[in-house]
Amino acid sequence: MQLSDRVTGAFLVVLGGAAALSGSRLPAVPGQDVGPAAFPMLIGGGLVLCGVLIAFGIGHNFEVTEEAEEDTAPSGGWFRRLAGLRALVPPALLLFYVFAVDLLGFLPTAALIVFTAAMALGARPRLAVPIAILAPALVHLVFYKLLRVPLPAGLLPAPW
Amino acid sequence: MNDMLEAFRLVAAADVVLAILASAIYGLVVGSLPGLSATMATALLVPVTFYLSPIAAVATIITASAMAIFSGDIPGCLLRIPGTPASAAYTDEAYAMTRRGQAEVALGAGLWFSAIGGIVGTLSLVLMAPLLAEMALSFSTYEYFWLAFLGLMCATLVARSSPVKAIASMLLGLLIACIGMENPAGTPRFTFGVTNLLGGIEPIPALVGVFAVSEVMRAMVTPEPPKLPRRKFGSILAGQWALTKKYQWPMWRGNIIGIIIGVLPGAGADMAAWVSYAMSKKFSKEPEKVGTGHPEGLVEAGASNNASLASGWVPALLFGIPGDTITAIAIGVLYMKGLNPGPTLFTERASSMYALYLIFIIANIIMIPLGIVMIRLASLVLRAPRSAVMPAIILLCAVGSYATGANLFSVVMVAAFGVLGFVMERNGYPVAALVLGIIMGSMVEQNFITSLIKSDGDVLPFIERPVSAVLAALTFGALLWPVGAWLLGRVQAGRLRAAAAPR
Repeated sequence: MQLSDRVTGAFLVVLGGAAALSGSRLPAVPGQDVGPAAFPMLIGGGLVLCGVLIAFGIGHNFEVTEEAEEDTAPSGGWFRRLAGLRALVPPALLLFYVFAVDLLGFLPTAALIVFTAAMALGARPRLAVPIAILAPALVHLVFYKLLRVPLPAGLLPAPW
Repeated sequence: MNDMLEAFRLVAAADVVLAILASAIYGLVVGSLPGLSATMATALLVPVTFYLSPIAAVATIITASAMAIFSGDIPGCLLRIPGTPASAAYTDEAYAMTRRGQAEVALGAGLWFSAIGGIVGTLSLVLMAPLLAEMALSFSTYEYFWLAFLGLMCATLVARSSPVKAIASMLLGLLIACIGMENPAGTPRFTFGVTNLLGGIEPIPALVGVFAVSEVMRAMVTPEPPKLPRRKFGSILAGQWALTKKYQWPMWRGNIIGIIIGVLPGAGADMAAWVSYAMSKKFSKEPEKVGTGHPEGLVEAGASNNASLASGWVPALLFGIPGDTITAIAIGVLYMKGLNPGPTLFTERASSMYALYLIFIIANIIMIPLGIVMIRLASLVLRAPRSAVMPAIILLCAVGSYATGANLFSVVMVAAFGVLGFVMERNGYPVAALVLGIIMGSMVEQNFITSLIKSDGDVLPFIERPVSAVLAALTFGALLWPVGAWLLGRVQAGRLRAAAAPR
C-alpha cells in the first residue's frame, strides 16, 4: 500500500480542513471564550500545514528508504495485486470474529480464524489444522478459566 | 525503613514472583521473534494485568519489557533481523561479529551490557525521581501543558523519518484523542452518532491494533525470515569482563545517554540505541573497525537501550507523561491499579515505589541466567514457523481487546487501527508518534484549555514562570531542530560542492 507523498499529503489537508471546520461548529461553553472547538481547530490547522509540506516533498530527505523486502509473489498482473490484498486478511478476520462469535461461539470462530490466517501465511494443512485446534483451546482455557473473561459458548461449549 | 521492608514483603509474595518469572519467559520469547516487538509484548499483556494484584501487574510489564529489549538482540545477531526496533541500530555490527565466528561474544555483550544498563538506569530512577517529585509539586497547568507538548515533540524526533511526517502522525493521534465526550464542554465531538465512540478511543485497542495487527498484516506480504541453522554455543559470558574493562568509557557514555533519552518524555529505547551507536561510531578510538564486527558499538548501544527503559519511568511516574511507548502502556496500568502517577505517589505509596525499584533490579539480574538459557534455545524458538505464531497473535488481539471491556466494538477498533498503522508505516509515517498523540491528547488539551481559561486567553502566562519558560524553550528547540539540521546539511553540502568545483 505504497502511496505517493502527494496522495497522503492531500489526504491530510482534507482531513485537517474537515476537522477544523466541524470543530468550529461545536457549541461553546457558556461564558467562556475557549471551549471544545479550540483544540480541533488548532490540530486541523496543523494537519493542513503538514499535509501541504508533505505534498511538496519537504523533509523527504530525512527519510531512510528501507530495503525493498516485499514482492514475494511471482510478478505479473492480477496475481500480484491479489497477493497485496493478503494484508487485509488479519483485519477481515477480526471483523469476522465480531460478527460470528456470538452466533458460533468462541471455539469454532477462533478455530476458523487461526486456520484461515495460517493458510494465508502459507502453512500446510498438516500444520494449520493442529494449530487451529490447539490455539483456541489454550486461549479459551487461559482467558475463560484463569482470567474469567466471558467468552460466548455458542454452538460448541468448552468441555471445562 | 519500614517502607523498604514492606516493599520486600510485597515483592516476595507468591503471585509477584510467579508473575516475574512467567513474564520474563514471555518477554524473552516474544522479543526474540522477529516482527514481535517489545511494545507489542507489553500491549498484549495488559488484558492479563487486569486480573493481577497491583504490584504483580507492574512487575509483569517491567520484566517483560526489559527481557524483550534484550532478546531482540538475538535474531539481530544470528539472522541480521532485529527482533525489536531497539536492536535495529546495531544489528549489522552484531551480525558481522557472528560471521567472524564471534557469535558468543556478540550475544554475551548484548546480554551483559543490557543487564548493566538496566541496573544503572534503575539507579538513576531511584535517585532522580524523589528529587524531581519535590519540583513537580509546584507545577501548574502551564508546566504540565509544556511537558506534555515537549513529550510529543520529542516523539517526532525519532531517527530515520521525515520530521514533517512525524508531526503529522502526532497531530493525527491528537485528533483521534478528540473523539468522544471528554472535552471542556462535555459535548459529543467527532462521534458521528456512534454510541460506542462517546467514551472516546480506548488506548489499548489502539495500541494492540497499531503494534500487533499491523505486524501480522506485514507478515502477510513479506517473505518468511530464513531458518536458523542449529548450532552449539561456547561460553556466553566468557570475555565479557574483559570487554567491560576495555570499553568502560563507552559503556558509561551509553548508560548516561540512555538515561537522558529515557527521561525525555516521548523518546524511548529505539532512539537511545540509534543515538548511542552513532556516538560510539564518532568517538571510537578504532574507527576503522566500526561496522566490521567491532564490539564497542554493541557495548554502548546495548547498555543504552536498556538504561532508557528504566529512566523512561521517571516522567511516567511523576507526571503521567510516557517516556516511551512501553511506559505509555504502563501508565494505563498504573491508573487502573490505583497507583495514579504523580508526585504524591512517592510520599503516600512509598512502599509500592520501593517495590517497583526492586522489581527492576530483580528483572535485570535474572535476565542473565534466563538470557543464557534463551540464547541456547534460540535456534529452537526461532524455528517456530511464522504461520503458526502469527495466527495465534490475531486471536490474542481479538480476545485481549475484548477482555479489557467485554465490548466487541473494541475488536472493531483493533482492526481499524491495524489498517491505519499498516498504511502509515508503509508510507513513512512513524506510528509511535501517533500512539503518543492518542494517549496524551486529552492531557494536552485539558491543560491547554485550563491554562487559557485561567489566563483569560492571554499567551504570556504560558512562559512567565521560570520552569515553564525553560520547558517552552526546549519544546520549540525540538520543533526547530530538524530545520536547523537541514540548514546545516545544506551549508555543508554547499561547501563540499564549492570545494569540489574546478578552480
